[in-house]
Order: sequence, then structure tokens, then C-alpha cells
Amino acid sequence: MTIREAAAALRKKGLSAVDLATAAIARIERLDGSLRAFITVTAPYALQRARQADAELAAGNDRGTLHGIPIAVKDLFAMRGVRTTAGSKVFENFVPDANATVIDRLEKCGAVLLGKLNLHELAYGITSNNPFFGAVRNPWNVAHIPGGSSGGSGAAVAANMVYAAMGTDTGGSIRIPASFCGSVGLKPTYGRISRYGVMPLAYSLDHAGPLTRSVSDAAVMLNAMAGPDPLDDSSSRHPTVDYLPEDVPSIRGLRVGFPQNFFFERVDADVESAVRGACARAESLGAILKPVTVPDMAAISAIGRVILLAESSAYLEPYLNEPSRFGSDVWSLLQQGRLLPATDYVNAQRLRRRVREQFCELWQEVDCLFTPTTPNTAPHIGAQIVTLGGVEEDVRLATTRFVRGMNVLGLPALSIPCGLSGSGLPIGLQIIGPAFDEALILKVGAALEAGGVGIPPCQVST
Amino acid sequence: MRDWKAIAAAHELNLEGHDLDRAIQALTKLEEQFRPLLADLTPEIEPATRFDAAGSET
Repeated sequence: MTIREAAAALRKKGLSAVDLATAAIARIERLDGSLRAFITVTAPYALQRARQADAELAAGNDRGTLHGIPIAVKDLFAMRGVRTTAGSKVFENFVPDANATVIDRLEKCGAVLLGKLNLHELAYGITSNNPFFGAVRNPWNVAHIPGGSSGGSGAAVAANMVYAAMGTDTGGSIRIPASFCGSVGLKPTYGRISRYGVMPLAYSLDHAGPLTRSVSDAAVMLNAMAGPDPLDDSSSRHPTVDYLPEDVPSIRGLRVGFPQNFFFERVDADVESAVRGACARAESLGAILKPVTVPDMAAISAIGRVILLAESSAYLEPYLNEPSRFGSDVWSLLQQGRLLPATDYVNAQRLRRRVREQFCELWQEVDCLFTPTTPNTAPHIGAQIVTLGGVEEDVRLATTRFVRGMNVLGLPALSIPCGLSGSGLPIGLQIIGPAFDEALILKVGAALEAGGVGIPPCQVST
Repeated sequence: MRDWKAIAAAHELNLEGHDLDRAIQALTKLEEQFRPLLADLTPEIEPATRFDAAGSET
């Protein structure tokens, strides 16, 4: 069931919020020993909130589509009175005394919070192979990673433990697990969703966003959270709209950019085939596919890596006196960040302004872009290298190749499932749009979904 | 290109052996991609960071 289906069932009186929460808790108990999607399950709190939701509905106080719906958040979001670890030994005993704005907004809409989800340590990586809280496993095949850093979010949604999960995305960390786990993942425009109370990784690249089982559910989540926040300097005052697409939206006449460079280089054959299939479906629904040449995405990615290394090491500098509190991969990245000169960081931020102007010229030619979310499907747990187009690449660098640029540019990007590989692993299509046009990319995603682009529900492999 | 090994030593970087080699290799590759981009920068291009002197956002 999707959020909207569950919401309809709640209002037909056949089902209660307590039923939904109880079922979700039972599923977590059954599956999480294998999947390790959760760090903390807040079952008593969720049941109390579910009882409250039922009472409110019975009294005619309906908070909307999220009322009574079980969700969870990446363990990077501060939740009052609940341990918030960032998947790190450094913060293993941190208990915030206030909620992240996102949590307040979701709860105001009646969502029932079931707990805190596992992630790549400090959100700094893409495997979610967490050295302190266990390796999150991919529900489609537990020998494979779920992606990351929001790996627990991707796994929990795909395994039907929750209806939606919050993730964060600094270099692809919502879209990668969405792609690898066959979920929908939305990275909104930079500043669209408040980051107050979300532990930072890189201030100028961090985004918060939802992972869901349908595109319209992502819109429901965005409707609940979007908008300015006086507590977050980076939050935008750009007006919000109703993001929920029509049930069968039309994309007739929409100009879809299909990159001729970069995005189809060194791509797994199954991924390329699935993404081209989704493009063909868009065309059959009336979209106009236009070949485009995108600016130097490898350069944009390099700019992003310089910014990420510098900002993350700056934020975590006070904790860098105890190597034993870090996993080896994260420690190495934090050390690398300490070596970069300040001039490189400033120049990376200058280049960022320049490449944003270059990239946004594309919106004169097309309304949105279609690309693969990742060039590969989910690698095996522990894999360091992936071979694509006969070239061996570091797993992290390969997996972030098509997504990191949108963090540098701050543009909204949606990943939707568009097929399964020969070995039965999900493949993601990335839909990129102009700044603050989340409504457009959600409409396009919903049109494709309604047009049959997608995958069957996950039969969890344990 | 920078001598990352010397820079790492000067910073008393807490990495050794294979880990240090891997970190230096990563930085060297990143610098190879990043350094040529600087040639495109002209003086009027300011950093894409924001400082609000009036503090009106908060």
C-alpha cells in the first residue's frame, strides 16, 4: 500500500492508525535482524501517537493524508528525547532536546514516527556498511548494499516497514538508495526543505528529502515539509505550491532532454536499456525527446568533491583527535579534507557559480532531463571496485557519478524505479528539473509511473 | 602538482602506509581534475556562498 491508499483505508473506518503502526512494528521485528535498517525503533511512542491519531480522526480532526501514517527518519534528524547518532560512535549517546523542523512539520500533519534509520557513518559514503551499527542490507538481495548514505531509509521503504522515510542527500544519498532499493527518492532544490536539526555533512551541499513507494507519496511528503524556516539560514523563501500531481498527469509536448554526453558513458547494459525504455515510454506518452549536450559534469563533480572534503572536515574538526571513533573510509576522507588549502575551497565555490549559469542555459532548450540515477545496480556488500565499460572504478566514485552534480547545482532531482537488472536488482531513472520546479519533475515521474514505468513490489529476501 | 605526501607529513596526518597512499592517490586524481578548471575563473566571479550582514534571514 502507498500512503494515499493507506490514508483512504483509514477514512473508510476499516483500518486504524494503531493497526498500521502495529503491523509496521511487527514487520520491523521480523525483518530488521537481517536488514539492519533501524538504529532505534520508537514503538511505544509510535503506538501512543497512533492512538492519538485515531482519536482525532474519530473526533473529526483530520490532519490530511499523512494522518496516522507510519514513517521513519534517517538517524541524522534530531528527535526530542531520542538518541540521534548520525551512524557514528562520536554521537552514539547524543540525545537532542528539540526536534528537527522536518519532524515537527511531519508530526503536525499527523505522521506517526516509528524510529531512526541506519545510514552510512556520518552520512559520508554510499554503502551504508556501518562499522558501528551494522551493514544495512538490500531487501531485494541481502548480499548487496542498499546504497547510501540513506541506506536504512531505502531499505525500510522497499521492505514495507514504513510508508515513507526521510533521507538526506549531499552527493546522491537519497537518490542512490532509492535507485538501488527500487524506491522513489526526491532531492528537492537546495533550501526547499529546512535542514534545522539535521546533522550537517557539508553545509552548502546538504539537502533533506523523502523516500517513498510512489511519486505522489513523495509529493505528499514534500507538501508537508516545504517552505521557509526562520531557524534555517539556508532555507528559501521561494513560494511553495501544491506538489501533488494529478492521478494521470499529461506530459504531452513536454521537452525532455536526453544527454548525448557523460550520462551514458561507462553504464551497465541493463541500466542503459531500462533508462532508454523509460525514455521511449515518455515519448509514447507525448513527450518530445531532445538530444542535448550537458556541460562538463566531471568538472562539476570535481568541484563538488572539493567542497565536500573541505566542509565536512571543517564541521568535524573538533572530533578528529580520536581516530578510533571513526570507520576507516570516513577517517581517510576527513583527513583528506584537512589537507585541502582554503584557496581550493573558495575557488570551488566560485566555479560553482559559473557552472550553475552554464548548466541552467539548458532550460532554454528543454523542460527537464532524463538520466540514469546510477551507472550500476547495487554492488555486493564489501565490494570496493566496480567494472563498467571495461574500466575499473572505485565503487563510491562510480555510484555518485551521475548524482553529485545536482548537489553542486542545487537543482531538484527525482529517482524513480524503471526496471530490474538480469539479476533482479532495481534500476533508477533520474529526472532533473529547474530550480524550485519540484512540481514539474513530480508530474513527469507520476506520468511515467501511471504509464507503466516501474517495478513489482519487493519480495524481501532474507 | 602538489606534493601531497609532504603536505600530509606537515599536517601530521593520522594515516599510515596503504591508507596514506590511497588518500594521496585520491587527492592527486582530484587535483588533476580540479586544477585546470581554475583557468576559467575571472575576477568578477564571486564564491557561491552567502553572508547576510543584516541577519534578516533569521
